[in-house]
Amino acid sequence: MLLRAEPPANGQYMVAAYVLVAVVLVLYVTTLFVRARGLVKEVVE
Amino acid sequence: MVLALLALAAHYVRAIQYTPVEATQGMAQKIFYVHVPAAWSAFLAYGIVGLCSALFLWLHDRRLDLFAEASAEVGTVLTFIVLTTGPLWGKPIWGTWWQWEVRLTSTLFLFFLFVGYLTLRRSVYDPLERARYSAVVGILGAMLVPFIHLSVWMFRTIHPKPIILKPDGPSLPGSMLSTLLEGFAIFTVLYLGMVMVRYGIGRLQEEKEARHAAAS
Repeated sequence: MLLRAEPPANGQYMVAAYVLVAVVLVLYVTTLFVRARGLVKEVVE
Repeated sequence: MVLALLALAAHYVRAIQYTPVEATQGMAQKIFYVHVPAAWSAFLAYGIVGLCSALFLWLHDRRLDLFAEASAEVGTVLTFIVLTTGPLWGKPIWGTWWQWEVRLTSTLFLFFLFVGYLTLRRSVYDPLERARYSAVVGILGAMLVPFIHLSVWMFRTIHPKPIILKPDGPSLPGSMLSTLLEGFAIFTVLYLGMVMVRYGIGRLQEEKEARHAAAS
């Protein structure tokens, strides 16, 4: 008889990956805006 | 760019809630919906570095050098995502975080090469010399990209082979393929948004340096 196993319970790895991607992208985008704002102030002044 | 980040949140919901769970790999397979699009956009970024670098050596237009720099920085961030989400999939599926096989190792080398590219740019003060040296490194780095893509066919490796960019077409159920294609679109828009802002920073930095030079 062919048994079909349940998919493995490994959702924690997916959650870790999704959180990591979000954190890296949000941090990088924030640093871009902070750098841009600082430079705009310096150049305008 | 902020809209693209919100679209990424919606992509997460679609991948988790509305895309089927793969029978043998479980939920860990859903890492694929961010890992593969991040790899695509990183390779796109490095391809653009190579193109802008080659055009800079030909045309000597400083804007091309600044765009190559912007693309290299964004590409390095995206490669960091690829190199960290990969092991998070590898641990439950392969039973190990890392394997010194050709796809992983060459991607790690590519990451270090572009960290070196960005370090080089901060070490050379003359703008023209900096642009020339980094253009050569940028072209050499971009030449690694097709090799990395083809490495899974050229060598015996445990890394999965591409399931979309292959000669006989995509081999993925429609619901999974549409989620993956959505990921490609979001990461491409994110790349374009980040690279444009980073390019603007490069232009402002250049203007600031020109004003300092004129004042002194």
